[in-house]
Amino acid sequence: MAFLEVVDLVKDFGGVVANNRVTFEIHQGEIVGLIGPNGAGKTTLFNCIVGYHKPASGKVIFKGKEITGFKPFMTNREGIGRTFQLMKVTAGMTVLENVMVGAFCRTDERNLAKIEAAAILGFLGMDGVMNYHLNELPIASQKKVGLARALATQPELLMLDEVASGLNPKETEEMVGFLKKIHQEKKITLFLIEHVMEVVMPISQRVIVLDSGEKIAEGLPNEIVKNERVIKAYLGEKYAKGR
Amino acid sequence: METLKDALNFRDFSRAERVGFGLFTVFLLIFPWLGAGSFVKTVMIQFLLFSLFGMGWNTIGGYGGQVELGKAQYVGIGSYAVALMMVWWKIPFWVSMPIGVLIAIGYSFIIGYPLFRLKGHYFAIATICTSLVLQDIFINWKLVGAAKGIELPIHEHPDFLYMQFKSDTYYYYFIMILFFFAVFYMNGFRKSKLGYQLRMIKDDEEAAESLGIDARWCKIKAYTIASAFVAVGGGFMAVYNLYVDPYSVMDLDLSIKIALMAMLGGAASMWGPIIGAGFLVPLDRFLGSWLGGQKGLIGVDFMIYSALIMIVSAYQPRGIWGIIEQFRGKRT
Repeated sequence: MAFLEVVDLVKDFGGVVANNRVTFEIHQGEIVGLIGPNGAGKTTLFNCIVGYHKPASGKVIFKGKEITGFKPFMTNREGIGRTFQLMKVTAGMTVLENVMVGAFCRTDERNLAKIEAAAILGFLGMDGVMNYHLNELPIASQKKVGLARALATQPELLMLDEVASGLNPKETEEMVGFLKKIHQEKKITLFLIEHVMEVVMPISQRVIVLDSGEKIAEGLPNEIVKNERVIKAYLGEKYAKGR
Repeated sequence: METLKDALNFRDFSRAERVGFGLFTVFLLIFPWLGAGSFVKTVMIQFLLFSLFGMGWNTIGGYGGQVELGKAQYVGIGSYAVALMMVWWKIPFWVSMPIGVLIAIGYSFIIGYPLFRLKGHYFAIATICTSLVLQDIFINWKLVGAAKGIELPIHEHPDFLYMQFKSDTYYYYFIMILFFFAVFYMNGFRKSKLGYQLRMIKDDEEAAESLGIDARWCKIKAYTIASAFVAVGGGFMAVYNLYVDPYSVMDLDLSIKIALMAMLGGAASMWGPIIGAGFLVPLDRFLGSWLGGQKGLIGVDFMIYSALIMIVSAYQPRGIWGIIEQFRGKRT
């Protein structure tokens, strides 16, 4: 049985079809990348799975339970965590408090939430900035807070929307390390949208390619980079030759 | 148990804040013996009452970040519940006040459920509307005294059951107890799960939802808490004024004052609503009576009042408490 199953998912905004009959499966323990050019409907697909958008038709099945049309907080309670491409950076709460809110998802006790949040921040090497506010941190740390927050809700499937955008090569490398660590140590299935090939290719066990709302390819990373349609739509000749 | 400990634990405040609040507590306790005149006593009671309102508003308006401008309807519900039950069935205050609070809670669920489908300015306008509609109903409802309102029967002897006293001192201590209850409650609230969740909703509602928070349900809960607080104050107003009419307890003016005081003092902070009330209530009263009554300059007090609000909010959107924190160099 598939862990996450998306069947014939269609989402349109007026005349624009953002997702057209997208079907795929994710198995437990996998790392799956989702790539595609700008406007291909990657984030929309995420939003449809998590519940920010209601799909026009099609089904989303998580662990054998249909969750189509569930609200975001409901899908989170089912065990799907997600991060955002852009985080609202506000001065309202500290890093620790942000992560505690995530931990409150599974407990009512403040002290437990605090211990849990501190442990996750330690896991991501963020001990030193716990009492800073989000707006005081560099973007790489902000992204990690987003990740920590989602991890604190103890997801089984973590959906990451461009977790490496805006990071420099060194930070990107570090982020890839964390993703691997999350996958191995916490046994969390990862599903990530990513533009940065240096992130997707080395860690993904499987890659799904979207273009103009349709799935044009799916397969192992080294198969994908040789796929004609993918090269034409997204990667460009250069990348293919470089390999 | 843990909640109670949280409510009584002020250790995470700075030393200055704790000392300040301690001194203020002592001042409140001995105030009636400082020989203040009856006018000053009235102002003091008003101050405590509006602090109570402001702290209630702070749950949804401050921590939750929802601009709520309809609290007067719950003041009205609390007041009318106490007044009507006393006039019709001679039910003592101690029974009718909790019933009034329960009615306010029930009503706020009914109102809050559809209301929180709206966001931002639309929500603010809708809260004003619901309050105005209720006011209009009461203005035209013959059974509850319509626009004339209702007078509470005055007892010959002071009566604790009906909260009727000759001296303002008793009312003062009663509202002071309510005030401290509110302080403890808010101290627990800001550390509670709901408190954290509301602050997250205020910061980024989309992200909050992705963290398993049912934003709408959280807002409804906070709205209900705020309404219950305000209804308690409303019940007090009924026995204190011995008179209830739709203009004094359900007016838009009152709703705005409640929100304004909390915002001016500093929304989403522990002391903000108290500071705001401590600033605006005396200003409102003294300026009003001095300029309006003695100098014949009716309306000038409102000008000064509004100018101050504009200055503070332009300088620091987080209100007076924001300015204090800025000067203390605390990270914002």
